[in-house]
Amino acid sequence: MVNSKIAISTAAMIAIAAAWSGPASATGLSSNVVAEVAAETSAANVIQSMADQAMNELTDQSLADDVRRKKFVSLMDRYFAMDVVSRFVLGRYWRSISEAEIEEFSVLLQNYLALNYANQFKEFNGEQFVVGDETQKNKDTFVDSQFVRPDGPPVNIVWRMRMFDDSYKIIDVSIEGLSMGITQRDEFTSVIQQNNDDVGALTAALKAKTGL
Amino acid sequence: MKFRILLSLCAAGSLSLLTACASTEPAQDTSDYDPLEPVNRVVHGVNGAVDFMVLYPAAMWYRDIAPEPVKTSVASFVRNINEPLNSFNALLQGDPDQAAASFQRFIMNSTLGFLGFNDVASDFGIPYRREDFGQTLAHYGIGGGPYIVLPLLGPSNLRDTAGIGVDYVANPLTWGAQNSDTAEALYLGSVGLTALHYRYATINQLNELQKSSIDYYAALRSLYRQQRNQMIRNGGPSPEFAVEDESASFDFDDAVEAASQ
Repeated sequence: MVNSKIAISTAAMIAIAAAWSGPASATGLSSNVVAEVAAETSAANVIQSMADQAMNELTDQSLADDVRRKKFVSLMDRYFAMDVVSRFVLGRYWRSISEAEIEEFSVLLQNYLALNYANQFKEFNGEQFVVGDETQKNKDTFVDSQFVRPDGPPVNIVWRMRMFDDSYKIIDVSIEGLSMGITQRDEFTSVIQQNNDDVGALTAALKAKTGL
Repeated sequence: MKFRILLSLCAAGSLSLLTACASTEPAQDTSDYDPLEPVNRVVHGVNGAVDFMVLYPAAMWYRDIAPEPVKTSVASFVRNINEPLNSFNALLQGDPDQAAASFQRFIMNSTLGFLGFNDVASDFGIPYRREDFGQTLAHYGIGGGPYIVLPLLGPSNLRDTAGIGVDYVANPLTWGAQNSDTAEALYLGSVGLTALHYRYATINQLNELQKSSIDYYAALRSLYRQQRNQMIRNGGPSPEFAVEDESASFDFDDAVEAASQ
């Protein structure tokens, strides 16, 4: 009993000491070191930190819907290679629009995805996100993960990542073997095709959906 | 009986067409091939209307009313009734172990599990795996062919439609239904429960998809293709070629190259 009390107070002391020294040592790090750490981070670690950030920022139930969507968009900015994703979902049609139009499309796409997915985080209750192994296939690293629900079987999610300027960025997400990028590309190119190969029709539809 | 013969002929006819393009690798379709799109879109629309009037309300009612244990039992029953076909198709795919597992599941669940309403086999560590004749054809390298939206049944393709025909003819229960009223009642009941179960199981996802998509038809078409690919490779990872070649005309490498210009 006495021993455990001592152990607890020692632990408390260490914790307090760590808390005090924490900010000091953090400021001691130069930005150089930070950059180096980022480069050495594995693809699986990137997914883990994104998941942590998403759980922290998006699951707060009191958050207004549009604030949650904004946070979702900035998460995508940080972790997704949006310039690649935007061109991928346009298929070969990316060539038929200007650089500025691609930029505009990219913003619309992010807001469209935020509209569809950000609210999923609102209903989080007891779910867990577990990051698994990563496998290398050709140029891409595939990170396995599982979304474990208290009711029902776990959902398998695979993140397709590629190295850009020494850091991993997400270029596709597969949920139970269904690729979001491919589904979106097939749908978007169909919309363009149905409108005489006019990308403007897709952009207009996205604007109507997102209200931008 | 005439219907059965007609169906067999149709199946045999489309099979001979399909086997002409067989290869040794399991087939993985990498892009949508939809030459019948105008007709398909019409059938898709009609299916949607029928669904909205019949199946959707039934599934919503089932979702809200039926207690969880009932839903679990129905799911087990629906899977169990399909086990003879799973076993048959696993055997045709040259996988006797899986065929034995499916057969074992069928025996265990039909007896110990009370007509399949309890999935005791899963508790004994024999997981469920669905195999149909469409997958068997794909196993021998036959691609999906043109996309077809079937009346009432929904998304399919030429290969899988032929598969449905063969599975119907090969199903012991449909043979039994010819001669026995009990088997017929069981068969019709299982068809109804299967429809209800699958509509319920997909209700949230399809609601979301319908709400979020700009072209619901095209999104469903893409998801059907990807899901069949997944089932054909039995949930395993994409083969190397399919990873890089997921789109015939424009893949991730092209997109990366495009973005770097």
